Amino acid sequence: MTQLVLHNYDLDDACYRVRLVASCCDLPVELRNVDMFPGMEQVSPPYLKLNPLGRLPILETADVTLRHTGAILLYLAGLDPQKRLLPTEASALAQMMDWLFFAEHDLSVSTEARAISIMDLPGDGPQTIAQTRALLRIMEDHMSAQEIKGLSFFAGEEITLADIALFPAFALSRDCNIDHDAFPALRLWARRVRATPGFVVMPGIPDYH
Amino acid sequence: MSETGWVPIALSRFIAPGTSAGTAVHGAEIVVWRDTGGKAHAWEDRCPHRGMKMSFGFVRGDHIACLYHGWEYDETGTCRYIPAHPDLEVPPSICVTRYAVTEAGGMIWTALPLGDMPEVEPNAPEMDGLRSLYIDAPLDAVLAGVKTVASEVSQTGALITATLGETPLTLGLQTVDADHSALHITLPSDTPTATRLSLLDQFATLRRNVESPLKEAAQ
Repeated sequence: MTQLVLHNYDLDDACYRVRLVASCCDLPVELRNVDMFPGMEQVSPPYLKLNPLGRLPILETADVTLRHTGAILLYLAGLDPQKRLLPTEASALAQMMDWLFFAEHDLSVSTEARAISIMDLPGDGPQTIAQTRALLRIMEDHMSAQEIKGLSFFAGEEITLADIALFPAFALSRDCNIDHDAFPALRLWARRVRATPGFVVMPGIPDYH
Repeated sequence: MSETGWVPIALSRFIAPGTSAGTAVHGAEIVVWRDTGGKAHAWEDRCPHRGMKMSFGFVRGDHIACLYHGWEYDETGTCRYIPAHPDLEVPPSICVTRYAVTEAGGMIWTALPLGDMPEVEPNAPEMDGLRSLYIDAPLDAVLAGVKTVASEVSQTGALITATLGETPLTLGLQTVDADHSALHITLPSDTPTATRLSLLDQFATLRRNVESPLKEAAQ
């Protein structure tokens, strides 16, 4: 199989999503650790050549260079012979994509809120935290409805890429002072995500075992 | 007037065996957790070691462990194990404060004032938990909102019964703090799925209607 190289920063939640999908799909990935903070190595000339957007994660293979988390996740899930994180049915697939876009686009504010809180980066802390909380509430409302329908995950009965893409924003929310008290449905869902074979943690997400 | 007696702090089905969650009543932080045997507990949400919230920790059998240093407490709130000193017989004076706890009507309850142990159990009819709705508003505003959409609204202590559409509901009222409330929504177990989903929507609308005037006033 083609060699997968992930340009990675351990504390970055987008890089964590990639590591998590790779682990759940049993795909070996070679990590190249990047000094994102405080070194800002992702905007150094060699990295800007790889990704002019100046961001991580970047996934490199002999054939492709991918620099959007969603695209990387889709690629990895597609490489998995068992396709365990990809629904085949059209509606479930579309729902997965809907939440994947939510995670990549809307929820990017949670990454910003967390970076402001823990790395003291510039930005509007209170505003980004309030936006993150409002988005987590949308997720809580959805999972409350899913539970009533007897569905355990965001896009249906089975775990998909959507759940993995959404998980870090909830699991790390305490880093920007958003507690889990008001999200009972997300607490139960996060427990199911944790129980997925191959699940791994990152700094800030405790391993209970 | 300060509230006394039983108050609901969670829906039973959302505190799975082997899990913990944080909540607050009138600003006092509480950890509600369920041991793997299924018994619920409500304690002060504070590890006596370094003050870490116990709700950040994890449940192991009938113990709950603190996330910081793994100190484990048994169901009486007494510290039993300190991982950094595995051979130490832990002094029995290291304890987390326990509060009254019981389950009735699909909800987990504690009693006010915290530490009070009422002799009589809360009187709540057998119901299914729908969801706990957390609202950024004082409880008075939430109650006023409920009265605008439901009929036959009647309150006894921290419980209200009300009818929404055709469905008889029992709502548990929790004052989280002066500006935050929780409604623990329960309904009869034979309520059809479509009705449950419609009620979810109606309560989400209620939350929006209760919160938006407060948000506008704050701006």
